[in-house]
Amino acid sequence: MMTLVIGGAASGKSEFAEERILQAGSRPRYYIATMQPFDDECRARIRRHREMRAKKQFETVECFVQLEQVDLPQRGAVLLECMSNLAANELYSPQGAGDDAVESIRRGIHRLRGQCEELVVVSNEVFSGGCGYEGDTRRYMRVLAEVNRMLASCADTVYEVVCGVPVCHKGKGRGR
Amino acid sequence: MVFVTGPLYSGKKTFVKEWMHWDEETLSRNAVWDVQELAAGCGDLEQLAQQLSQKQVVIAAEVGGGIVPASAQERAAREAAGRLACLLAKRADAVIRVFCGIPTVLKGEIAL
Repeated sequence: MMTLVIGGAASGKSEFAEERILQAGSRPRYYIATMQPFDDECRARIRRHREMRAKKQFETVECFVQLEQVDLPQRGAVLLECMSNLAANELYSPQGAGDDAVESIRRGIHRLRGQCEELVVVSNEVFSGGCGYEGDTRRYMRVLAEVNRMLASCADTVYEVVCGVPVCHKGKGRGR
Repeated sequence: MVFVTGPLYSGKKTFVKEWMHWDEETLSRNAVWDVQELAAGCGDLEQLAQQLSQKQVVIAAEVGGGIVPASAQERAAREAAGRLACLLAKRADAVIRVFCGIPTVLKGEIAL
């Protein structure tokens, strides 16, 4: 089963995604962390998420670029967070896939899906703040949007999280 | 308490007034709006949420759906606004999201 969880900043998407993994029941639980600790703000965010996961027994696997290189030791449940970081890393980091970002992520997701029972991918809604973006930001938005649509098309279930409340857009529970 | 959210100018207050049969004055008395602006710089969001929950209706604009702002202050403000909205939604008996003037019930048993 694959689930896409999408939401804006501080919408409660991480907490909801973790709950999904716990409910699925598969073990072990892997957390694929995509945020590079650039500065104190990133480190604080990473710490907050680590604390949220501490009691939930996730094993953290760091992956900043090249998702398709990830090898999981056992078949279990996987939470990948957050696609918005992975997409940015693929586009802009020297080791990233650059123009091949979408395809690289598509292959990575496909491969990851084959290695686990339950896959939950968290991504970010960054498209409701106007159209006044150009250059690199615009390029990033276009790539992330394409990735989000690709994920939604692969996923069995798609949730948008609004102030902590899940709204189902695809799969069981839609329209409820 | 009913928590009403939705994008900027989506018709949140207009919806509340029609739904509750309130005029502007009754709205001012029983509801509080633009609470997302109170979150920035607030040291205790939990307490703020509790305080706001005394009102019958609490309204917040959704502000976390754009590109992550370049300024740290703006990032912190929208982060706080999002957390506050989650806390209010948790406390609320019902959560309604208004989109283009159209209300959708996200939580609670309400017939619109």
